[in-house]
Amino acid sequence: MTAIIQTQNLSKWYGNVLGLSDVTLEIEQGITGILGPNGAGKSTFLKLITGQIKSNIGSVTIMGQPVWNNYPQFSEIGFCPEQDSFYGEMTGWQFLTSLLRLYHLSSTEIEKKADKALEIVELSEDKNRAVRSYSRGMRQRLKVAQSIAHDPKIIILDEPLNGLDPLGRRKIIRLIKEYKGEGRTIVVSSHVLPEIEAMTNQIILIHQGKIFAQGDIHYIRDLIETHPHIISIRCSDPRQLAQKFIHHDFVLKVNFGLKKGVLLVETNSRDKFFGLLPSLFVENQIEVEEITSPDDNLQAVFDYLIGK
Amino acid sequence: MTIKERGYAHWDGELQDGRFPWWPITRIGIRLTFKRKFFKFFFGFTLIPALVWLVGIYVSERLEDFKFMMEGETDFLNVNPLYFKTYFTNDFLLFMVVMILVFCGAGLIADDLRHNALQLYFARPLKKRDYLTGKAAVIFFFLFIVTLIPGIVFILFKLIFAGNFQFFASYPWLILSVIAYSVLITTFFAFYTLLLSSIGKNRRYVSILIFGVYIFSDIFSAIFKEIFRSHYFYLLSIKSNLQQVGAVLFDQRTPWNIPWYYSLTVIIAICLFSAYILKQRVRGVEIIK
Amino acid sequence: MSPSFKRKIGFFAKSTKDVFSFFFSLAKKSRRTKIFFILSFLPVFMAFVVKFSQIFQLSRDIEGIYIFNNMIIAFYLQFLILILALFYGSSVTSEELEGKTLTYLTTRPVSKSAIIVGKYLAYTALIIFMVTLGVVFSFLVLNLSELRSVSLYKILFRDVAVLALGLMCYTAFFTFVGTILKKSIMFGLIFSFGWENVIQYFPGSTQKFTIVHYLKSLLPSVSRGRFSFLLFRLEPSSTGTSIFMLFLIAAVFIVLACVLFTYKEYILKD
Repeated sequence: MTAIIQTQNLSKWYGNVLGLSDVTLEIEQGITGILGPNGAGKSTFLKLITGQIKSNIGSVTIMGQPVWNNYPQFSEIGFCPEQDSFYGEMTGWQFLTSLLRLYHLSSTEIEKKADKALEIVELSEDKNRAVRSYSRGMRQRLKVAQSIAHDPKIIILDEPLNGLDPLGRRKIIRLIKEYKGEGRTIVVSSHVLPEIEAMTNQIILIHQGKIFAQGDIHYIRDLIETHPHIISIRCSDPRQLAQKFIHHDFVLKVNFGLKKGVLLVETNSRDKFFGLLPSLFVENQIEVEEITSPDDNLQAVFDYLIGK
Repeated sequence: MTIKERGYAHWDGELQDGRFPWWPITRIGIRLTFKRKFFKFFFGFTLIPALVWLVGIYVSERLEDFKFMMEGETDFLNVNPLYFKTYFTNDFLLFMVVMILVFCGAGLIADDLRHNALQLYFARPLKKRDYLTGKAAVIFFFLFIVTLIPGIVFILFKLIFAGNFQFFASYPWLILSVIAYSVLITTFFAFYTLLLSSIGKNRRYVSILIFGVYIFSDIFSAIFKEIFRSHYFYLLSIKSNLQQVGAVLFDQRTPWNIPWYYSLTVIIAICLFSAYILKQRVRGVEIIK
Repeated sequence: MSPSFKRKIGFFAKSTKDVFSFFFSLAKKSRRTKIFFILSFLPVFMAFVVKFSQIFQLSRDIEGIYIFNNMIIAFYLQFLILILALFYGSSVTSEELEGKTLTYLTTRPVSKSAIIVGKYLAYTALIIFMVTLGVVFSFLVLNLSELRSVSLYKILFRDVAVLALGLMCYTAFFTFVGTILKKSIMFGLIFSFGWENVIQYFPGSTQKFTIVHYLKSLLPSVSRGRFSFLLFRLEPSSTGTSIFMLFLIAAVFIVLACVLFTYKEYILKD
């Protein structure tokens, strides 16, 4: 698959504060989650790839074109900024239609697109209220609406789920997934792991302005060879299986889970472990019900990467 | 503890007032003003008239030594109530005072309104009165530095340079005039600035209003005065009213041919009006229309 | 002219028009505009007071056109247009930074120059409308008894044109100041009521470094006397030079503002 967004040695600092350091990556079609704690550099990265700020070193291209001051590109890009700011004296409807006007569309098109966007974020009923009277969640949905209203191919969302109630979050997550299905590129940032996890497997981990890892959650997991993995196996005879495992040096620990028939194995080599597993089952005639990796989630990877 | 007890509930206990609950507001206001770009330079510039007047006091005691420079007219160097009145009511000083207000006063309430910070203030043991006192004290701090403090320094240096108390004996009330005028001008401008700062959320807009209303009132009154040939139109001018009352406080002839207490009434009326509006605008809960 | 250049110009004009209509409709609804509208209408109130007092013989009988020329226009020229231009001109960039709304504009397919020019034109049009309305009403009230005299309308037209040129020029200048300085108001006040008022006193070519010089050059010289407190010594430039200079100043500052806004990085603070 070809990269939609490419950065090369991207670095940005504010005075003597480092915002982003030497970031080289490629973002492909689909959903990519930018994950990192507050102040990690997520917003700096998104501002750089949307041409809001200039990099000190390095370059950004979107669909092969540089992004800084390349305004025609924004016909295909939608950006939802992090800051909760609006032209307060406008109504939701005016806000959307005014911004859509900047895409040089006809009045009918503007109205149609604004209506559709408001409907998607479920603000149609409140569209004639002043934005300053909106709740935080409504304002957040309006921000998302302005980023999708013009039907862009690339959608960049900076903390889009901030301030939304659980129902609102679910709806936005569903919307993002729907957009993925339509073949768009979506870059979404968050500091909340389950939010990203609910949207995508493709992640970029950022911390202290540096990219710690990029790729599929499993791929990232494999990168961390020294980090032990825990694998849970539910089978007919966990104790017999445990006996077989302890002879291998890539198995660090075996444990019996609280649930009956569950064996927890800690290994420092997933490949070797999974290579061995089928033969053990067959040779010892052990019936397998389920194999899972309880710490194969972002939190575990993230905690490990940032050294917690 | 049950869950119910841990919910949001009004605290029934008694709030214990600090001695000066407004002081942190003042302190931060002063600190933020000094952090503003060019303020220190500008504030220094505002003190130039005070320095000139101080040099005048020195020269007044050494007239014989400086005679070769004077060539005749030395009346303006007589340090008397007129000398003080000239310092306190001159157009330049009042103009610079307004410019200081633009620096230190424009954002006092406007910034809080903009960031919805009033709720944060009033979530603490702070009354509306304390909040406004804290904000007004910022203005008092800066304006006293260009009014009250120079006035007292002038008197002190006059006594030091003269080496006797004759000046004090001649005008024992002068120090009271200095205090009264400084308090009057500072109180008025504190109300004026806080009023304008409370009607907008945008510091730039408030800055323009602080400056514009002051100048506008002056131009307006001058035009009316020229058309109607009546000094009563000076009552429309903020500057003229302050100069009028200032002249009386320093026991000088009023510049305009109208009773001074009219001017004082206008000043007090503006302060009362400001207090009323401030009471309406400064509240812990934002009302969205 | 090559077709691609023509296309670029066409796109720029369309973008500018879109930005213009965005901000014109936004600004005309704002509370601040309403307050400035009231401020610019105070001379109308003054004109009413003068007219009534003349009708009831409470004041001296001064010709309406005399008051209009020497007071109303002087008030607009030396105070109101400066205040309006300073606020709206500096708003072009500053309000986007203060309100953190700049992102909404710079992530649209419009050039940064179009944002500056469109917003500048929207605000300039709005304040020209504001001032024109006030001036026309003041004129009508003050010259109620001589409304059939055509020569008076020539004066009105000239004065409105001068004020419009002034607004165009000052707003361009303050737009530039707003893009370069974060705290543009203090500089603007010092420029408007310091530089512009002081330098015009200076003899010779010095006064040509002010905008007000060219504006006053377009107005007839005022006889010294009762109203000299509003007008200062002037060694006028020719009408052609003045108009040319005013357009040049406006164009130069708008171009500079566009260049600066395009290449300068604005960091919205959290």
